[in-house]
Amino acid sequence: MTALMDFLTVLTQPQLLLLVGLGTFAGVYVGAIPGLSVTMAVSILISFTFSWDVHPAIALMIGIYMGGVYGGSRTAILLNIPGAPSAIATALDGYPMAQRGEAGTAIGVTTVMSFIGGFIGIGVLALAAPFVSDFALKFQPRDYMLLAILGILLVGSLSQGSLVKGIFAGALGIAIGAVGRDPLTFAERFTFDLRLMEGGISFIAVMIGMFGVSEALLQLHHVDKDAVRQKITRIVPSLATVKKHLPLSLQTSSIGVVIGALPGTGGDIAALMAYDHAKRVTKNPEVPFGKGAMEGLVAPETANNAAVGGAFIPMMTLGIPGDAVTAIMIGALFIHGLNPGPMLMIDQPDMFWFIVGCLVAANFFMLLFGLTGIRLFTKIVEMPRSVLIPLIMLLSIVGAFAVNNSISDVYWMLGFGIFGYFMRHYGYPLGPVILGVILSRLLDDNWRRAIISEREDLGRFFEGVVTSPLSLVLFVAVILVFVSQTPVWRWGKSKLFKES
Amino acid sequence: MKRILFGAVAALALTAGFAAAEYPEKEIQGIIQWGAGGSTDTVMRSVTPHAEEILGGSVVMQNMTGAVGAIALNYVAEADADGYTLLMGAENPMLYKVMGLGDRDYGEFIPVSLLARGTPLLVANNDAPFDTYAEMIAYIKANPGEVRFGSTGPGGLPSVVTAMINAVEGELDVIAVPYDGDGPALTGLQGGAIDVMPAVLGAAIEAVRAGNMKALAVVDLTENDKLPGVQSVAAVSPGYATYLPWGPFFGVFVKKGTPDDVVAKLSAAYAEAAKNAEFIELMEGRGFTLMGISGAEADAFLSKWQQGTAWLLQDAGLTKASPEEFGIARPGQ
Amino acid sequence: MQKIDPDHHDGTSDATPGGEADKRRPGELAFALFLLGASAILLWNAYGIAGFEALSSPGAIPMATTAVMVVTAAMVALKTLRMPLDSTETLRRDILPLTVIVFAVLLVAYGLFLRTLGFLPVSAIFLIVAVKYLGRRSWGWTLGVSLAALAITWLIFRIVFSVLMPAGIVPEAEMVQALRSLFQGGAQ
Repeated sequence: MTALMDFLTVLTQPQLLLLVGLGTFAGVYVGAIPGLSVTMAVSILISFTFSWDVHPAIALMIGIYMGGVYGGSRTAILLNIPGAPSAIATALDGYPMAQRGEAGTAIGVTTVMSFIGGFIGIGVLALAAPFVSDFALKFQPRDYMLLAILGILLVGSLSQGSLVKGIFAGALGIAIGAVGRDPLTFAERFTFDLRLMEGGISFIAVMIGMFGVSEALLQLHHVDKDAVRQKITRIVPSLATVKKHLPLSLQTSSIGVVIGALPGTGGDIAALMAYDHAKRVTKNPEVPFGKGAMEGLVAPETANNAAVGGAFIPMMTLGIPGDAVTAIMIGALFIHGLNPGPMLMIDQPDMFWFIVGCLVAANFFMLLFGLTGIRLFTKIVEMPRSVLIPLIMLLSIVGAFAVNNSISDVYWMLGFGIFGYFMRHYGYPLGPVILGVILSRLLDDNWRRAIISEREDLGRFFEGVVTSPLSLVLFVAVILVFVSQTPVWRWGKSKLFKES
Repeated sequence: MKRILFGAVAALALTAGFAAAEYPEKEIQGIIQWGAGGSTDTVMRSVTPHAEEILGGSVVMQNMTGAVGAIALNYVAEADADGYTLLMGAENPMLYKVMGLGDRDYGEFIPVSLLARGTPLLVANNDAPFDTYAEMIAYIKANPGEVRFGSTGPGGLPSVVTAMINAVEGELDVIAVPYDGDGPALTGLQGGAIDVMPAVLGAAIEAVRAGNMKALAVVDLTENDKLPGVQSVAAVSPGYATYLPWGPFFGVFVKKGTPDDVVAKLSAAYAEAAKNAEFIELMEGRGFTLMGISGAEADAFLSKWQQGTAWLLQDAGLTKASPEEFGIARPGQ
Repeated sequence: MQKIDPDHHDGTSDATPGGEADKRRPGELAFALFLLGASAILLWNAYGIAGFEALSSPGAIPMATTAVMVVTAAMVALKTLRMPLDSTETLRRDILPLTVIVFAVLLVAYGLFLRTLGFLPVSAIFLIVAVKYLGRRSWGWTLGVSLAALAITWLIFRIVFSVLMPAGIVPEAEMVQALRSLFQGGAQ
């Protein structure tokens, strides 16, 4: 009963409710602007809400978090520039829809699906948190490595056109992720002895350059053409549409919760994996994937919002952050005199239920703000290109700088923008590059941890893979996906026999 | 949009004091060496608002990560020495030179305030076949090459503590599994990826209290009152007295050449801020020892810390260059 | 020429913005060879990190990935070499029209002068030049739109999010302090 009271705290106090709403509203915009991240917003809020009580501070942060994860999809759909890494997959099918003048429909579906995903995440957090966090702790370095390999196999899904070019792009991404001082041994990698390169390349800068600047440069080819008129007749998707995608959204939400709960992986990987999953299970999409398939929106958007609830699971049960934002929230709880850790749920269960309550409220606000104001948002794409293109470039520059307050990130962003422009022209997919950068450290660090733990013995390493049930399942999944789902198999066969 | 903007500006304005003709005439940049949510970040973000009030100016804090903090250090070292760029960092830069990570350390800075230092703690996975420090040493000696220690890269706290253990107990054959911070390593410890982890007390204490991992020993001369009943390593092996007390620390620095009155004003502000009751409670709750020192006292602390640690790592064969090359004297000489 | 949609953007978000699958676009071979060369340099560099020291060396994964890059880049280059050149396209018109070159130069110039001049002046110049060049509207309109956009960007990033872009020649910190004091005065 007290749990229910704590859960309702936020709903019964107008001031807290207002803060959640305000946070969610701000979050949608923070998320939509590439380079402004939720992580950044929440860490600024720490100093900002320093003198506040803990409840209003948390309410505001949760609003921003929920709104921000959702907001990334806006610019992905409207401009082909993901506002945040977790919206990369959304751009793949969302942008083609906007190109056909269906931005309103795309945003509507995205919003409702984010809402559903958000709820599933919160539900699992409320009902099964200790169970899921126990499971998440079981992941060993080699399991993370297998997970990363599974992720890298998504290259097949993300490469429209040439698979070889896709593999090249993915490998390039992994190499980009390795630039700078290695975080484990501090050895310099690909730095060419330049101090500028020691800090590595921020993957947000790569993303903004490849998607933002290269898209803007490409748009220059048709400055004089009128922008696509958006027809905003039906925003809220029909019940039939929602029903049709419900089974898929349940599956992808589960992917989101688990990936979100694993310390070290977050909404970005969850969304990409969910996209791949949708591509594999959807036999006959109405529109092909990559050309504006509804399923291509449903999967990543349910997954990244479900990952929010997932990320809170290890945070609330163990004091271990599920992602970067929850890491900062742990800091915030600590500053406000709480002791985030495994004892928090036992000593202060009210805090747990209060957070669940805030998440629920934020999810509703997200639905509200997501379905309103779309007309205004779509006006952005209808702006004259002569203003829109310079503005995208300026925002890309400021955004790249903001990630780590570093001018070298601006240079990287510009460089990858121009490079990405050529890649697009010559048919190299950009998605795998970002995928590679995201997964680079997960793969590299965990491979090394795993093999060091076995004293450099490959035999013992494989023994570990086969004897641990979890590793074995992941390993089999890797093999299955590799053989059946990526076209390597078919492609390789046809190439070998036809051409030479 | 307007509302948020207005709110933000208004709230920021509240924290800014009266505009005075003297320092600070404009906002001060605070460069945090480590990422958002880490220990350094938390400490700095919780003490600085108090210092802002006393200074009557605003300090805009930014995280600038990368290359073990060297990016932030170089940024501040290359800014003007006018007191408008503060470096908020931890102990690592004192080892940059010997670890081959850069040619600068805190020697090029003036310590505004060394706020606090932490105590290392040895924790183990609950299933590890030993419950105390002495049992651990015996087990490692009986089973060489089996126990996995977490580490956070050369020069990090675990590498120093491990070097200390080797110096006192003789070379131990353990596997050092590298992590990119004590947070992920402690997560790995709970999942059984590693067996033992030397970590700062504050980072592990909640998990120890909850019974999710076990504390083997406090790496200090005496027991810690936050963890009664956990023996100190010095109580088991007196050899540790040479190296202890040792621990990571946090401090605020400005570049050498900053006008004396500015340094004095900043030092006074941070010294006062560190006396804030909330801050003290926060730090003590996490097992940090408050220092609040500046000036010559801080310089002496820094050089003693550097000598002890650099030579310990040198003797363990972990350094890239000998401390001698940089004029770091062997302690006791 | 008639065969190719001048729009060149077929609505997919990530695919080729033009060209035909079985023909080589102008500059495509040069780009493929550039990638091959760059990959080879990176592979050599990755080897230099730790050689074949250990499976767990910091150079292991970089070497594996750059090796994949070299192999795939070579495959792409070979395939590109065998394809006939698309004679309906020219580099000047379809790949690098004047507008794109102008903007690439503008962006590089922006990067070069950002540190010395500071964010506000460089961005103002960039926006005004870009909007005027693309829109060819009156000066009043150009100035109004550019400066308004810059002001909003600056307020969001600088004031709300405390992102300290290089100040350069503009005494930004003093301005912000004055602004805050003003608010302070108003509030009291």
